[in-house]
Amino acid sequence: MDDLGILRTLVLALPAAPLAAACVCAALGRVGAGSVRRFAVGFAVVHLAAICGSVLLAGNALQNRATEPGGFTPFAVPGASGFATAGTTYELFPVTPAASVQFYLGLDGFNLPLLVLAAVMTLFAILVTGKTITDRPGSFFGWLFVLEAFCLAAFLSFDVLLFYAFFELTLIPSFFLIGRWGVGGGRRDAARKFFLYTLFGSLFTLVGIVGTVLENPTPIGASGMPSYEPPVGNEVRKAGPLTFSIPQLMKNVPAWEGIIPVRVMQAEAVASAARVHVATALRQPNAAAKREAAAELASAEKALAAARKDLDDRHDLRLWLFLALAAGFLVKIPIVPFHTWLPAAYGESPLGITLYLAGALAKLGTFGMLRVVIPLAPDASVLYGLPLIGTLAAVGIVYAAFCAYAQSDLKLLAAYSSVSHLGFLALGLFALNTEGFGGALLHMINHAASTGMLFALLAFLYDRYRTTDSNSFGGLIAKYPRYAFFFMVAALAGVGLPGLCNFPSEMLMMAGLFDARNTRWVGYGLAATAAAGIFLSSWYAFTAVRKILFGPVIEPAQPAGDTPPVDTTRSETRTFVLFAALCLALGLFPQPILDTVKPEAETLAKIVTKARERVTPGLTDPIGVGKGATNR
Amino acid sequence: MTNPQLLEPVRTAAAEAYKLVIPEIALVGVACVLFVWAAVSPRKLLSLVLAIIGVGLAAALTLWYADGSTYVDGHRYYSPFDPTGVAAVVRWIALIGAGIFCLVAYGEVTRETAGEYYGCLLVLTAGASLVGRANDLVTLYLSLEMISIPTYVLLYLPVKTRAGQEAAMKYFLLSVLSSAVLLFGFSYLYGLTGSTNLRAVVDVLADAHLSAGTVSPLALVAVVCVVVGIGFKVTAFPFHFYAPDVYQGGPTGVVAVLATVPKVAGFVALARVLGLLVPGGGLPFDAVNTTVPLMLWLLAAASMIFGNVLAILQADLKRMLAYSGVAHSGYILMGLAAAGAGSPGGVAAVIFYLAAYGFMTVGAFAVLAATSTASRPVETVDDLAGLAQDRPWAAGMLAACLVSMIGLPLTAGFVGKFQLFFAAWDAPIGTPMGNLFRALAVIAAVNAAVGAVYYLRAAGAMYLRSPLTPFGAGRSSPALWAAGICVAGTVALGVYPKPLVDAIHAAMTTAVAK
Repeated sequence: MDDLGILRTLVLALPAAPLAAACVCAALGRVGAGSVRRFAVGFAVVHLAAICGSVLLAGNALQNRATEPGGFTPFAVPGASGFATAGTTYELFPVTPAASVQFYLGLDGFNLPLLVLAAVMTLFAILVTGKTITDRPGSFFGWLFVLEAFCLAAFLSFDVLLFYAFFELTLIPSFFLIGRWGVGGGRRDAARKFFLYTLFGSLFTLVGIVGTVLENPTPIGASGMPSYEPPVGNEVRKAGPLTFSIPQLMKNVPAWEGIIPVRVMQAEAVASAARVHVATALRQPNAAAKREAAAELASAEKALAAARKDLDDRHDLRLWLFLALAAGFLVKIPIVPFHTWLPAAYGESPLGITLYLAGALAKLGTFGMLRVVIPLAPDASVLYGLPLIGTLAAVGIVYAAFCAYAQSDLKLLAAYSSVSHLGFLALGLFALNTEGFGGALLHMINHAASTGMLFALLAFLYDRYRTTDSNSFGGLIAKYPRYAFFFMVAALAGVGLPGLCNFPSEMLMMAGLFDARNTRWVGYGLAATAAAGIFLSSWYAFTAVRKILFGPVIEPAQPAGDTPPVDTTRSETRTFVLFAALCLALGLFPQPILDTVKPEAETLAKIVTKARERVTPGLTDPIGVGKGATNR
Repeated sequence: MTNPQLLEPVRTAAAEAYKLVIPEIALVGVACVLFVWAAVSPRKLLSLVLAIIGVGLAAALTLWYADGSTYVDGHRYYSPFDPTGVAAVVRWIALIGAGIFCLVAYGEVTRETAGEYYGCLLVLTAGASLVGRANDLVTLYLSLEMISIPTYVLLYLPVKTRAGQEAAMKYFLLSVLSSAVLLFGFSYLYGLTGSTNLRAVVDVLADAHLSAGTVSPLALVAVVCVVVGIGFKVTAFPFHFYAPDVYQGGPTGVVAVLATVPKVAGFVALARVLGLLVPGGGLPFDAVNTTVPLMLWLLAAASMIFGNVLAILQADLKRMLAYSGVAHSGYILMGLAAAGAGSPGGVAAVIFYLAAYGFMTVGAFAVLAATSTASRPVETVDDLAGLAQDRPWAAGMLAACLVSMIGLPLTAGFVGKFQLFFAAWDAPIGTPMGNLFRALAVIAAVNAAVGAVYYLRAAGAMYLRSPLTPFGAGRSSPALWAAGICVAGTVALGVYPKPLVDAIHAAMTTAVAK
C-alpha cells in the first residue's frame, strides 16, 4: 500500500477509533474508575500520536497533490481512485434518482490542523478532568470520545449534508456531558438550552443547504459536458445533475452567478434583434411578415422579462440563503446576540468539558463558515459578510469584553473572553482574503490553546476550593508561586503578547481587515474595533490577575475532609507545562500551520475575488491587492 | 350491442383480481381461524404464535408469488387493484408493522381476548396493505374500513375503565362520521366521472381539467370531503381533537396501532386520490389554478404549529405523543402538498417518512408498554424520571426514538425530514403558490426546533433526573423486543437509507404511467 492508500484507511480509522474507545470505556466503567481513566489517557495519547503521524504523512501529499482550480481539493478520499475530486463511490442515499448524498471524507489544508486540535483538546480535557468525575466515569469518558469522533468526522467531511449531520450530532454527547456531569444546580437547564439554541440555528442551516443544493446544479454546456464559464454569444447552459459535494458546489455556485446575468444580456440581444425585425417589417407591405415579427418581439420580450425575474429572484435569494446557511454557525461560534446559551453551558459544565467546548466544539462554528458558508455563498459573503456579520462580531468583541470585566466568577470571565476572541475570529474570516482565512484558522488553534489553558488553570482552583469566584481569592502568588507563573502565561497569551500564541494570528487577521477592497470605513472601523478588543482583553485579564494573584492572601474555606491544598501537583504541572509549551510554540513557529492552510486559503480567496468582481461592477484591482494577497 | 372483444380486458381483470391480493386473503383467513379458535379454547401464547404465523405466511406468499405477472397495463381502468408503484412497499410496511404490533400487545392482552385481539390485528394489516393497491373507490373505501372496524373492537376489548370506554366511544363516533364524509366525497367523484375506478376517475378529471382549464366546483367539493375524511384518520389539524383523549385512555398497544396504521393508510389513500402515485399522470386537481395545494399547505402549516405548541403543554406522555403525531402529520402533509404542486420527489419523501414515523412512534409506545406496570405506571413525563438508571436498555431505546422524532442525524427521522424539506423547496415557484413552499420549509424547520423542546424534556427526565419511585427490576418482554426491532429499523434507515430510498424510487418509476 502506498502512502495514499494508508492515508485513506486512516481517514476512516481516525474518527472511528474514538467510537470504539467509547465502547471500551463503557465496558471498563464496571471494572473501576481508575482503569477507565488510565485507558482514556492512554488512548488519547495514542490517538493523538496517530493523528500527528497521519498529518506528517499527509503533509507531503498535501503539497504534491494536483489541485483543481475553483474548489477545495480533498485527497486521501476513501472510496475514490487517485486524486479524483469528483467525490467518492460510497453513497449513502439518493435524494433524487440522479443526486446522492455521499460518505465523502478527505484531507485538505484546512482540516489537517484542526484534526490535531480536536485530539489535543481531548487529551487535555481528560487530563484536566482527572479524578474529579466519580459518577459513572466510564460513561463520561465514553461520551467525550463520541464527541471527539463526531468533531473529527465533521472536520473531515466534504459532502455538505454529511458535514451538517456530524455538526448536528455533536449535540447529543454534549447534552449528556453538560446535563449529567455538570457542576452547578442549573446543569439540566444549561444542557437543554445549549441543545435547543444550537438546534434552532442549525435547522435554518439545513434549509439553507437544501436551497443552495437545489439552486446550483452542475451547469451543462452545449457539448453535454459541465461548463463553468459564462456562456459566450448565444451558447446555452442547462441545469445538470444536483450535487452535495462541497468542491463541486464551489464551482457551480460562481458559475450560476455568472450565467444568469449573461442570460439577461442574451435575452436583451434577442429582444433588440426582434425590434429591428419589427421596424423593417413595418416598412414592407407584407402583413404576414408584420404579424410574424410582432409575435417574435412579444415572445422575446417575455423571455427577457423571465430572465430578468430569474436574476432578481437569485439576488433576493442570495441574501436569504446566506443568512440561513450562516445561522447555525452564528449560534455555535457564538456571535453576539446569539450567545445567550453560552454562559450557562460553560458555567455549568465540568471544567474539562468547558475546555473542550471552547477549545474544539466552538471551532466547528468557525470552521463551518470557512467550509460551507463562504465557499457556497461567496457573492453574498462579499455583499453582506462584513456589514452584517462583521458588525455583529465587532459589537460582540466589545460587548463580551465588558461582560467579562463584570464577572466575578472566573469561569464566566473566561467564557465571555472566549466570545470576545471568537468575534475577532469571525471578523477575520469575513475579511475574505488569504491573510484573513489563514489568520482565522491559526486563531482557531491559538484560541484553543490560550483559552484551554485558562480553563485548565481554573480547574486547579475548583479542585481545591469548589469555587472559582474571584472575590474569594487574593494573593495566590504567595501561596502557589508555580501556579501564579502559569496563570500569568495564560493571561499574557490571551491578550496577545508577541512570542505567545494569539499574537501572530491576531496580527494576520488585522492585516486582512486593512484590505483596500473592503469598503474603507467598514474595514478600518471594524479593524479599529478589533484592536480595541485586544486592549479591553488586557484590561479585564490583568484586573483579574491583580485581584487573585496579588495583594493580601485571601482564600475561601476548604471543603471539609479535603487534604490541605498544595501548589501544582506533578500531573497538574505536566498539563500546564504542556499548555504553556503549546502557547509558546504556536507563538514562535506559526509558519508550518500557515503553510498547510495556504493552498486552501488561496483557493477560497480567489473564489471570493471573482465574486467581488461580479458584485461590484467596474472594480479593477487598483493596487494589485488581489495578486499580492495570493502570492504571499 | 357492445363488442365482446372490448369487454375482454374487463372480464380478465375481474377474474384475475384475486391473484393480486393473495397475501391479504391469507391474513384474513388466519384471522378467521383465530376468531373461531378463540371461541373454542382461548390461549394467549398460541394466539400470538398463530398471528405471527399468519404474518409470516403473508410475507412468504408475497415473496413467492410475484403478483405483477397477471396484471397488464390494459387492466388499469378495470382492475380493482393496482399492484404497481408503491403497492409492494406499502404491503411490506404493513406486514413488518403487524409483526411488531403482535409483540407490543402481548403484555396487555388477556387469555380471554387474545384470539379476537390478534385476529383484528391481522384484518387491519390486510386493510392497510390493500390501501396501497386499491384502484377503485369501492376497494379503497373498504380497505380503509377494514382498518377502522377492527380498531373499534381493539379499543373496546381490553377496556376496564370509564376513561377507556369513553375513548373507545369517542373514537368510534368520530371515525364513523369521518368515513361518512369520505364516502360522500367519493360519491361526487363517481357522479362526475361515471366510474368508480380510481385511475379512470383521476385521468378523466385530469383531462377535463386540462381541456377546460378550470376544475369543476363539484370536484373541489369532492376533494374537500376526501381531505376532511382522511384528515380525521391522519389526525391533521383541525381534525385531530379526538386523538389526545383516545390515546390517553386507550391501552398502549392499541394506541400504537392507532397512531400509525390509519396514518400510513390515510396518506397513501390521499396520494392515490390526488393522482400523485402515477408518474407522468395529470393531476386531477391541478396545481396551477385550483386552491387544492393551498388547502393542503394551510393544513400542513397548521398541523405542525398547533401540534408542536400543544405538545409542549402536555405532561401526559401519550397526550404528548398524540400532539406530536399531529405535528408529524403536518410534516408529511407538507411533502404531499409539494407533490401536489409538482415537486418531483414529494411522494417518495412522504412514503419514506411514513416508514420512519412508523418505526419511531411504535418504538416509543412499545417502550411505554414495556416499562409501565400496574404498580408503577409510566404515564407522565415525571414518571420517566431516572429510567436510565433502573432500565438502561428501555431508556436507551426510548431515547433513540425521541432523537429520531427530533430529527437528529443517524436516525430515520433526519433522513425523512431532510427529504421532505428538499421536496418542499423543489416545488416549482412559477405557480400562483409562488415561494410559499419554500416558506413552508422554513416553517417546518422552526417547528422541528420547537418539537425538540418536549422530546428533549422526556429524554432529559430519563437521563438527567433520579427516579421518584424506583422501577421494578428490568426484565425482557415481547414489547421490549418490539421496541428493539423498531429502534434497529430507525437507526438502520438513518445510517444507511439507500436500500429503502432506492426501493421507493424504483417503485415510483415502475408504476404504470398514463
